[in-house]
Amino acid sequence: MSEIFEKLSTAVLEGDAEKTHKLVERGLKQGLSPKEILDNGLIVGMDEVGARFKRGDMFVPEVLMSADSMAAGMEILRPLLIESGVKMLGKVLMGTVKGDLHDIGKNLVSMMCEGAGFEIIDIGFNAGPEKFIDAIKQHQPQVVGMSAMLTTTMRAMGQTIKAIEEAGLRDQIKIMVGGAPVDRDFANAIGADGYGSNAPSGADTAKQLVGAA
Amino acid sequence: MRGNNTVNSGVRFRMLTDDQLEELYNGVLHVLEYTGLEVHHEQAREILKEAGAWVDGLRVRIPSYLVKKSLALAPRSFTIFARDGNPKHDIHIGPGRGHFGPGPTCPNFIDVETLERRLFVKSDVPLVAKTVDALPNIDFCESLGTVNDVHHELGALYEFAGMFPNTSKPIVAWSYDKYDSAGIHEIAVAEAGGQEAFERRPTYIHYCEPLSPLVSTKEALDKLIFAAEHRIPLIFTPCPIAGGTAPVTPAGIIIQGAAESWMGLTIAQALQPGLPYIMGGVFSVMDMSAMILSYGAPELSLMMAGLTELAHYAGLPLWQTGGCTDSKTFDEQAIIEGSLSAFFSALTGGDLCHDVGYTESAMTGSVFQLCAMDEAIGYSRRITRGIEVNEDTLAVDVIKAVGPNGHYLRQPHTRRYYKNEFWYPNLCDRRNYEEWDSMGKKTMKDRTVARVHEILATHKPSPIKPETQKVIEKVLAEAEERVKVS
Repeated sequence: MSEIFEKLSTAVLEGDAEKTHKLVERGLKQGLSPKEILDNGLIVGMDEVGARFKRGDMFVPEVLMSADSMAAGMEILRPLLIESGVKMLGKVLMGTVKGDLHDIGKNLVSMMCEGAGFEIIDIGFNAGPEKFIDAIKQHQPQVVGMSAMLTTTMRAMGQTIKAIEEAGLRDQIKIMVGGAPVDRDFANAIGADGYGSNAPSGADTAKQLVGAA
Repeated sequence: MRGNNTVNSGVRFRMLTDDQLEELYNGVLHVLEYTGLEVHHEQAREILKEAGAWVDGLRVRIPSYLVKKSLALAPRSFTIFARDGNPKHDIHIGPGRGHFGPGPTCPNFIDVETLERRLFVKSDVPLVAKTVDALPNIDFCESLGTVNDVHHELGALYEFAGMFPNTSKPIVAWSYDKYDSAGIHEIAVAEAGGQEAFERRPTYIHYCEPLSPLVSTKEALDKLIFAAEHRIPLIFTPCPIAGGTAPVTPAGIIIQGAAESWMGLTIAQALQPGLPYIMGGVFSVMDMSAMILSYGAPELSLMMAGLTELAHYAGLPLWQTGGCTDSKTFDEQAIIEGSLSAFFSALTGGDLCHDVGYTESAMTGSVFQLCAMDEAIGYSRRITRGIEVNEDTLAVDVIKAVGPNGHYLRQPHTRRYYKNEFWYPNLCDRRNYEEWDSMGKKTMKDRTVARVHEILATHKPSPIKPETQKVIEKVLAEAEERVKVS
C-alpha cells in the first residue's frame, strides 16, 4: 500500500500530471479511500514541493507542473470526497482589483491554492467591489484573495474591503492580499487577514486562514 | 534555412586595433633584438647561443626571426587534465575560453574560523584546495599563501603536497628552486602512472617568475629548464610595476613585460619544441603615494587587457590577473575591485586569470574573497556567454500562443530554457524584505562565511591513489633530510 502513496507523491513532485491521474485511479481500484489518497499521496508530494521551493531547490515553472499534477488528481477525488462527507479545505475567491489589468500573479496564487486542495472561483481582473460582493454572495467562499500589481491600484484593495464590510459580509470570510507593491504592513493597514509575498506563500496563507496549516 | 549569416554568440571585447597590436609586437621584437636581457644562467645562455641568439657576457639579444620561430612552435590550444580523470575539471585552453583561480605566495591569511589576519601556515593549504575544488567557477588551484611554519626552503613543496590530495582541479605549482620542482613533479608523475603518462595528460602547470626590468634569474631559469626537460606546461610571468620597474605608460610596460616573457619562451621552445607555454603576468601601477603595487587599480585591468590582446595576436595564451583587491578586509572596496577586474578579465578571454582571492595588495590571501569572487565570475560568465539567436529562441510562436495578458510560466519553451538562460546566484540575495528579515538579515559577508564553512565541513574531493600518498611522504622526508645537511 505504501508503495502507491510513494509513487503518487513522487509523481506530484516530478510534475507528471498524467501519471498522477493514473495512479489516483489505480489507488481507488485497489480500494483505497479518496481521503487516504489525498492525505498520504498528493499532499505529501505538494508539501515536499513547498519545502523544496523555499530552500531554492525548485523553481516556479516546476512548482506549477506539480500544482497541475495535484489538480489532475483532485479532479477525480473532489466529487468523491464531497460525496463521502469529508470536510474540504474550502473555496477561495480570487480577483485582481478595479483598475488593474494584471492577471498573472492572481493566476499563480490560484494555481497554487488549487494545488493545495482548494476550490478556486476566479472573477478575473479589473474587478470592482460590486463584483467581489456579488461573487461572495453567490459562491460563499471561505477565503477572498485580492491582487494588485500597481502602487496606483493597490488602494482599491482597501476600498474593496470597506465595501465588503458595508455589505455585511466581512465576518463570513477571511481576506488575503498580495501583489508586487504590497507588503505585510500595508495588508494590516487596510484590514486584511493575511498576506502572501509570492504564489506558494499565498497558498500557505490561505491554508492558515482556514485553520489547515 | 539560412546560410552564411554572421553570428556573435557572446560579448566581444576588443581594445586595440591590429595596427596598434602590430606596433606593440614590433616593439617587443625591437627590445629583444637591440637591448636584450641579462640571463643569469650559464646553461640557458648556451642554449640561446646555440639557437641563434647573440650572447655578450650576461647580456643576451635575440634576433626577431628566432622569437617568431619560438612563437610559432608554442601551441595556442591545449588541455590541462584533472588528476582523477573527471572531465569537468579539465581545462581546455584556447580562444574564447577564460579560466579562473587563486594566486600563490601571500605571507598572510585570513583565518577561516576567527576571520583574523595572521601568518599563512601549512594547515591552511588543504582548506584552500578544498574550497577551490568545490567552487563551480574556480577552475585551477594555487594556495593563496607561502607556508611559514616549515623549513624556509620547503614551503613550496609542502604547499603542493597539501594541495594535490585536496583538489582534482589542475594545479599551478610555484616553487623556490629546482629541488622543489623535482619533488613536485615526482608526486604528479606518481599519480599519473609515469612520466610518459604525465606527458600525455599533464595535471599541473609550472610557474616561474623572471625579474623586472629585463633580468632572467638563475632560480627562474633552473625551474624553467626543469619544466621544459620534463615537458611540464609552463607559465613564465614577470611582475613589472609601472613607474617603478617598468615604463609608466601601459604600452611601455606591455612591451617590456612581454620581452621578459618571450626570453623564457625562446629558451623553453629551444629545449622542448611545442611545450605548452603561457605568457605572464601581473602588470599594474606603483601607487606613488602608498608605494605599493596596486592589485585594485583600474590600470591593472587595462594593462592586462592590452597584454591579453598582444598574447593572442602573437598566438600565445595569457596568464591573466583579476578578482583581487588592495582592501584589508571583506568590504565594499574588496568586492568592487575584485568583481570589476574579474569581469574585465572575463571580457578579454584571458586564458588563466589568477590572483582571485588576493587582498591587501597580495599581502593576505582570503578564501572568503575567493568565494565571493566565484559569484562575481559566475555572473560575468553569464554575460560573456551572450545571447543566442535562432528560430527557437526567437519564440515568435510562443508569443502567439500566449497572447495578450497571458503568461509564460506554463510554456514548455519556458521550462526548456529558464535554467540555462538565467543565472542563479549562490550568494547574492533576491528574497523579498520580509523573508530576508525573517532569516536574520544576513549580509553578503555572513552568507560568504557560511558558504565557506559549509564547503569545508561537507565537501569531499576525490582522493589520490594510496601509493601517491606514500610518494608524498617520501618526497617530504627526503627534502627534510636535504635541508638538514645543508
